[in-house]
Amino acid sequence: MEAALRVGATNRATAALRESTPFRDVSEALLQRIAAIARPARYAAGARVYSAGEVPDDLFVAVSGRVFGCEGLLLGQNQRLSSVNATEPTEVLRINADQLVGLLESEPLEGLDVMQRFATVIQREFSLPAPAQVRRLSGTPLTEEMSTLSLTMYRASLWLRSPRPYLMVIGFALFLGFWYLAVEVWKLPRFREMPGVTSVVKEWLSPAPTYGLSLYTEEYYKHIAVSVWRVAQAFFLATLLGVPFGLLLGWSRKFKEYVFPVFEMLRPIPILAWVPLAIVMFIATESAVVYLAFLASFYATALNTMLGVQSIDESYVRAANCLGASQPQVFRHVVLPGALPFIFTGLQISIGVSWFSLVAAEMVSGQYGLGYVINTSYMMVRYPTIIIGMATLGIVGYATSALVRIAGDYLMEWRVRELALAER
Amino acid sequence: MTRGHIVIDDVVKVYDPQGAAVMAVDHCSLEIEPGEICMIVGPSGCGKTTLLNAIAGFHEITSGRIVMDDEVLCSTAKPLSTPGPDRIVVFQNGALFPWKSNLENVIFGPLMQGKLGRTQAIEKARAMLADAGLSGVEHNYPGEVSSGMRRRVEIVRALMNDPKALLLDEPYRALDSLTKSVMHEALLEIYYKNKVTIFFITHDLEEAIFLGHRVAIMTTRPCKPKKILDVDIPHPRDYGVLTSKRFRELIEETNDAVHEEALKAFQAGEKEG
Repeated sequence: MEAALRVGATNRATAALRESTPFRDVSEALLQRIAAIARPARYAAGARVYSAGEVPDDLFVAVSGRVFGCEGLLLGQNQRLSSVNATEPTEVLRINADQLVGLLESEPLEGLDVMQRFATVIQREFSLPAPAQVRRLSGTPLTEEMSTLSLTMYRASLWLRSPRPYLMVIGFALFLGFWYLAVEVWKLPRFREMPGVTSVVKEWLSPAPTYGLSLYTEEYYKHIAVSVWRVAQAFFLATLLGVPFGLLLGWSRKFKEYVFPVFEMLRPIPILAWVPLAIVMFIATESAVVYLAFLASFYATALNTMLGVQSIDESYVRAANCLGASQPQVFRHVVLPGALPFIFTGLQISIGVSWFSLVAAEMVSGQYGLGYVINTSYMMVRYPTIIIGMATLGIVGYATSALVRIAGDYLMEWRVRELALAER
Repeated sequence: MTRGHIVIDDVVKVYDPQGAAVMAVDHCSLEIEPGEICMIVGPSGCGKTTLLNAIAGFHEITSGRIVMDDEVLCSTAKPLSTPGPDRIVVFQNGALFPWKSNLENVIFGPLMQGKLGRTQAIEKARAMLADAGLSGVEHNYPGEVSSGMRRRVEIVRALMNDPKALLLDEPYRALDSLTKSVMHEALLEIYYKNKVTIFFITHDLEEAIFLGHRVAIMTTRPCKPKKILDVDIPHPRDYGVLTSKRFRELIEETNDAVHEEALKAFQAGEKEG
């Protein structure tokens, strides 16, 4: 009777061992011997099976075939690496690790195979399982609630805490300091004739400027407004025409073959060379000036947009085709967003060259605008005003390209996030 | 069940027939049963991707024909098959759209085809992503998650369309070996739930035998089956298979054939592709 019970228990033990990875393919004889050293044990729900730090004497095989607690097999590993609780009533087999190793050594061929499998089991147990990797990479609050605005704020606060803003202030201080010393203290040759930084700042901030232009005069803002309005028209027109034109150039080979050679021949002609023709073409000086600023912008936008389309990995288009997208859908969902990073690079360049050619055009013709201010101040010998015009151009130009960059970040959240992850 | 029965019948592909006349695929015939995982093994540049591109509809064939479920995809008369959601490619370097969130990527197919409304598509996508253990990454962009995760999202994106076949072009080539083994099990798990025909290109013999019902070992350029191996290890499989006796035997049985072709490819100095 007792013998029969024991046989039943042994059969259940061998069956459980068979289920487990390490012992799946061992011979019946060896399995019987392993079963003989295995001791059945039972744990109630919530019971502690072992705790981290204990001596790892036994390893465990659950009835389901799951193997755990194999630390005892590792050479020089003399404590448990983790704690294990039973989450439900559990039956397990406990096998003494030293006895098992001894047994496997007596059957070297099969033993090696079993030990290799234990190695796999242990590696799996102590490497991160897939769900844990998910959490580590993406479980941060950066997922759902993080809007573009808060991301921008976050980056701004990082920027303030970094040394960069302070280095920037030092850079400006050095620049202005050198200007002051070179012109007003050392009176270096060539610098002597230049307006000094103090006279410029005094003039700029004066409610009653000597030469008629300062932060307090209405004229000053009129000039800025006129220039900004011209650049805005030129830039929007260039974007409105340049982006579709560039997309078409990149998308249609035939269109490109017709148009691109002409485009490439016109592009190197300097904007200033267009001035006489522009004045002949547009009777009104206003449109001529805007046209010149537009032209330079248009080239930059169109060319970059075309490169953007050409840079798109062909697999994206193929994947979209596989997924059943029609040509217009591919254009809308793949080509346009795929080219966007290049388009915005183009727009950054575009707004820069638009200021550049605007000022050139304003110096030649026009009645208002910052370029006009600089040119007339030169002719009227109002040197500090020249500098005021130049500095204002710098500030306004920087502000407009920052606006373009912000618009780009807003439209390409995916890119902002990708770059943020790369800590750039 | 006759979903995803692919017959490749005497297909020939010659690149630049008037000029260099490089033969990439040479009278290749292969039949893939519905719901089978068919692994195509060959050295880099042997022309196996050309075969996949012909099925997918990215490249023309020169002669022969490819039939899926009694529908002729391409033949001598119509050399280019039309890409469609019944056979979806998972690309070597991954082709999730980086400008769309993972969820938007997954709903892309049904939305473009007009098969599902946005709400329904999102519902289905959520369920499928959860099923594949990817619930946490719905609102992330592909660039924010690991490359292994991206591949799984891409496979879910394909399965959203209830395709007859998945065409995988060395999808795990760029992954480290630990991630790779997790990915293999994840793929099998998805497969056991969906039973879609899988045409899987690889140069890794272990990967091929671990995953496949059958393994077709291809000759180096021009490409055609050199040896077809039936893998008699029963499914479902897990990583334990890798250390089983039968697995080792099968590797040994086929290793020579693969090595011989790799050597030929090396000597011919074929370029990658």
